Amino acid sequence: MEIIWLAILGVLLIGYFALEGFDIGVGMMLPVLSRARERAGEPGPRRRHRDRLVAAMAPFVLANEIWLIAAAGTLFGAFPSLEGTVVNGLYPVVVALLVSWILRDAGLWFRRRLDGAAWGAFWDAILCAASWGLALSWGVALASVVRGLPDRPFDLIGLLYGAVVAAAFAFHGRAFTVWRLSGPSEARGTGRRLRLSAAVAALPVAVPLVLLAPALLDHAAPSATLNVLNLIVLPVTPIMVAAQVWVWRTFGPIRSAGATTAIPSFF
Amino acid sequence: MLDLARLQFAVTGSLHFLFVVLTLGMAPLVAIMQTRHAISGKPVFERMTRFWGQIYVINYALGVFTGLVMEFQFGLSWGGLTHFAGDVFGAPLAIESLVAFFLESTFLGLWIFGWNRLPKRLHLACIWLVTLTAYASAFWIMVANSFLQHPAGSVRRGDHLVLTDFSALLTNPSLLMAFPHVIGAGLFAGSFVIIGASAYQLFRRTPEQEFFRRSLRTGVVWAFVGTNLAVGFGYAQFAFVGDIQPDKFKGALPGAALGNMILIGQLVHTIVMFVLLPLLFRNLLARARWMHPVLMLMTPLPFVAAILGWLTREVGRQPWLVYGRLTVADAMSPGLTKEMVTLSFAAFAGVLGLLALADYLLIARVVRRGPTQVDLGAAEPAEPSPEPALVL
Repeated sequence: MEIIWLAILGVLLIGYFALEGFDIGVGMMLPVLSRARERAGEPGPRRRHRDRLVAAMAPFVLANEIWLIAAAGTLFGAFPSLEGTVVNGLYPVVVALLVSWILRDAGLWFRRRLDGAAWGAFWDAILCAASWGLALSWGVALASVVRGLPDRPFDLIGLLYGAVVAAAFAFHGRAFTVWRLSGPSEARGTGRRLRLSAAVAALPVAVPLVLLAPALLDHAAPSATLNVLNLIVLPVTPIMVAAQVWVWRTFGPIRSAGATTAIPSFF
Repeated sequence: MLDLARLQFAVTGSLHFLFVVLTLGMAPLVAIMQTRHAISGKPVFERMTRFWGQIYVINYALGVFTGLVMEFQFGLSWGGLTHFAGDVFGAPLAIESLVAFFLESTFLGLWIFGWNRLPKRLHLACIWLVTLTAYASAFWIMVANSFLQHPAGSVRRGDHLVLTDFSALLTNPSLLMAFPHVIGAGLFAGSFVIIGASAYQLFRRTPEQEFFRRSLRTGVVWAFVGTNLAVGFGYAQFAFVGDIQPDKFKGALPGAALGNMILIGQLVHTIVMFVLLPLLFRNLLARARWMHPVLMLMTPLPFVAAILGWLTREVGRQPWLVYGRLTVADAMSPGLTKEMVTLSFAAFAGVLGLLALADYLLIARVVRRGPTQVDLGAAEPAEPSPEPALVL
């Protein structure tokens, strides 16, 4: 039974990297991608290009970031003795990760709530910087866990792994915007490339998970606790999968609206 | 250092609850407005859904930000709790995040961004599913909290608690009356935001009189329901508390917090029942302009009462974290240093405090601008047919 909960934790973490990875990547690449669109001769001010890029990922963010909250809940419920050790052992990294996550989300929720250009540019800068913070914190956290929680997690190896995660997310973010925003003529193969980049984004967490699987199994909660989780969680799983599929079926590529059309988006 | 770690939890927890209590109250009210639109087809209900919905989602954002910190804070500062009681306490929290909040967030994304895109009935279903899962979230969080108040369904084995009877967690006397009390407090907060904002617009005599007259009616009716639930299930808790936590209200702070919460609850309940509700007759309340500043000033009351309620419940549990089993001092993570706690407290309180302030200013701005300029559900340019999405 422990193996089921290890699998659930693995699926949630890998799913988080494969899905939320592109949101973080788009945030990191926001200045680069918007300038590229400008250079490619797309009309409109740079702010409009940023709006379009954010609007491309907006409907997915809430459904994607929740995978990590679910993974943290699984860690807490099914591997409680590990949760305290890992989160506390990563104290400064977890604080950096949470602050980055909150600021990234604040950038998304707030950027269009006032009309002024300065307001939007300010929150877009926060969105971009916090997305970088998220990717780097993840690299540092994973490198630290694999090495058995060293005292100084922000060392060269940690930061290098952070760079690996950031590169994977940036690649994935770019593939996502191409899939969602390319016109009908260039659309061929973009879905396949998005799935490939999702695999690339998931790799930095999948490898440590495989390495740590035996240690994780040793820390599973007793069967009385896991039975309760089985009873409540497993029957609802099909609904959760269906809800996620519904998101992807609702928000497909934006092809028919021309490049100059603003996409009304809450974010 | 213990005080600092406790203060950090109290500050982030209180901030979280200020936003969550409004989320819990606004979600069903927005769902009801959208349902009335679906049934009657009247455009005013669609405008109400979008306007109050926008306030609901701006508020929701801060509930999530503060909630993230709450979820990880157990591991950051209170590692002793997971070691001692994680096998019991972890289960309801895991179910909350893994099932209830997972679905709530997914359906809310579909509701916000699926406007003018999803079929109308499915879009309406989304907001009801958001409401249902928000209530489920509140339920599981209250199951976990009630275990801290009264560790039912578990026995001590060696140095930790093990789960022996899950149904005892769900029928915990500390939970049964407190959960509907919180639901009532949510409706109380949601309806008073609607009442206060409507009174402001009516007082200023903006052109949206019809819109805010209807909103005021909805607010008052649900304020009646909310205050009844909150007050009724508030008093009902006294039947249990004496048995399971005899010294709960003996301290100076819990005693004062309880007294003031009851004062606010009684006062507002009486005003709603004997003044506001009767004045709905022939829209007397909407026309009584001198009343509107009073209604505006009453808006913070449910929030003050909610914080006082939490102070009573949580400070009254001290010095225990798990009542009678684990003290707060013993629950602190080993190896925590003063620098670590100071740093994280400054980071979380600073960031969340500023964002909370910005969020309230943005809500105030939405209220001031009124329903003519709402981002939520703004119409898309005509699209012939949505492309089939990536098939998973």
